[in-house]
Amino acid sequence: MSDRPTSDGPSDASRPAIAMDGVELTYADGTAAVRGIDLTVPTGECFGFLGPNGAGKTTTIKTLVTLLRPTAGAIRINGFDVEREGRAVRETVGYMSQETSIDPELTARENLRFACDAYGVPRRERADRIDELLDLVDLAAVADKRTDDFSGGMKKRLDAATALVHRPPLVFLDEPTTGLDPKARNRLWEYFRSINDRGTTIFLTTQYLEEADALCDRLAVILDGEIVSEGSPAELKREVGGEILEVSVAGEAATREGAADIARAVDLFEADAAVDVTDDGIAVTSERARSNGTDLLVALRDADIQVTGFNVRAPTLDDVFLAITGEHVDVEVAEPEGALTADGGERA
Amino acid sequence: MTPEPTDGTASRSRSGNSFPGDVWVNFVRWNIKAVRNPFVLVVSLVQPIIFLILFTQVFGQVATGAVNQGAVDISYETYLVPAICMQVALAAAATSGVGLVNDIENGMFEKVLVSPMNRTAVFLGKTAAEVVRIAAQITIIIGLGVVLGAEVATGVVGAVGIVLVGILFSFWFVALSNTLAVLTRDQESTIIGANLLQFPLLFVSTAFLPLAVLPGWIQVVARFNPVTYGVDAARAIMLGRDVMTVVEVTAFGGVYDTLVPAVAVLLGLAIVFGSVAVYMLQRASSANVQ
Repeated sequence: MSDRPTSDGPSDASRPAIAMDGVELTYADGTAAVRGIDLTVPTGECFGFLGPNGAGKTTTIKTLVTLLRPTAGAIRINGFDVEREGRAVRETVGYMSQETSIDPELTARENLRFACDAYGVPRRERADRIDELLDLVDLAAVADKRTDDFSGGMKKRLDAATALVHRPPLVFLDEPTTGLDPKARNRLWEYFRSINDRGTTIFLTTQYLEEADALCDRLAVILDGEIVSEGSPAELKREVGGEILEVSVAGEAATREGAADIARAVDLFEADAAVDVTDDGIAVTSERARSNGTDLLVALRDADIQVTGFNVRAPTLDDVFLAITGEHVDVEVAEPEGALTADGGERA
Repeated sequence: MTPEPTDGTASRSRSGNSFPGDVWVNFVRWNIKAVRNPFVLVVSLVQPIIFLILFTQVFGQVATGAVNQGAVDISYETYLVPAICMQVALAAAATSGVGLVNDIENGMFEKVLVSPMNRTAVFLGKTAAEVVRIAAQITIIIGLGVVLGAEVATGVVGAVGIVLVGILFSFWFVALSNTLAVLTRDQESTIIGANLLQFPLLFVSTAFLPLAVLPGWIQVVARFNPVTYGVDAARAIMLGRDVMTVVEVTAFGGVYDTLVPAVAVLLGLAIVFGSVAVYMLQRASSANVQ
């Protein structure tokens, strides 16, 4: 990628939106945050970077938007070199950082106007574009209110809108829904899908497999500054092996071992389905966890094992890491449910 | 409607932005913020006004003798107003870094850095908004001084000159305040740092009394104190004659024997401190923006 001449980069329709070649970033204190990433994201794709806190997701995204300079390697964004053509890169991307970035002393409309000015949106188009975006993110009713009173979800939506005033062909979203409640999150997802449907390339980072699954065409799993796996969400979930049936049982470790033996023996799950003994019972990872789970409960009861609880859940990031690396990672389990503020137009 | 796909070529063609345009955009934003926070505007004026009134009332009798050693009859009000003007410039400049810290904290700093705006223009726009504020506040102080009995010997043109001196004088402290902001990234440290300096600087200068009546060691410090040069320049204009004693120049005649060296020193300080601030800001915007 890096040997592509600068001049044909921007006009070449087939050029990738993002091309990273051996990118490394080591901070001044010696921390190697990004350790050799090669990645190509074609135009129009929604690509996800999935990883736990501290994996290097934000560092990577800041390097891609010219906020940080890579220690080694080459990056081309929309055909432009991040180091030599930083301004051209900044003109052709939108960026929504992890922390909501809006001026609390300005109104929603003023924040958008500032963004329009900053990106040189033609003067005659500004008013219309601001109104469009306010409608799109459902903030038209509070357009002229100062944003310091907005709820977390409203601020995020406004922040997303300010990243798009110049209709960039490529948008970077750094953990766009962390800390939002499900309703606010779903609204943002809809919004991101709609801009991706219209051809905008999206690069997002997330800790939630669910979010990656909902939005991304393709994913890279990042751990300790390296990509450890890459593929579609379906492929990654296949690596995990399906959903997870968790069954708690009464009794000692021997009972749990017994329960695991039953789960392995019954002809309910795939031959290679994982059965693990947990602290209070067993966990079965299977494509058929949901459909055949109740039959396992019956089999356990027939064996006089007392089931004290059960649950079928979708795989989490931790399950993906367990499947890929064989290790648990320290995922900050701030699952979106039950987090932060209420949303939906009302104030926080 | 949603942003439409644009290819790189289309979105690369710049629409309205130019260097002056970028300055203007930021100038407007910081002015809106200043107007939304009248409290800051008022509070930063209160202390200098209290100084102006209390000093003239309390020290007026005693100080008038000290300032009139040359047998010229100047009221202490007239003597003090230029100093208070510089105090206002210092106080306003001290808050400059606070705005920057706020921007770093609420993410606007980073947002501006990822935009294609010229970074120098961004800071020029912010500083320009602060300059407008300083100009307005100095004008208020001169007006109040005149009401209290001070006289501007050089008239309205001189008053404008004092405002300009105040602006030039503020640059080194604006730069210092922003340097503190980038170093500490903390509001309180930035305010405390700038305020700690503000008062000693005022007192160990020619602000309140002539150099000749100050103790020896203060005379030495005053020679190296930027406040002395700001105050002397403003005072020369106020009185319409050469008042500078830290540097004796006679080549230009009258007021200019003070103004030329003072302006030269203030320009030099602005360049030195400004360069440090620009360097720090550039480092902050290209390295660890964590």
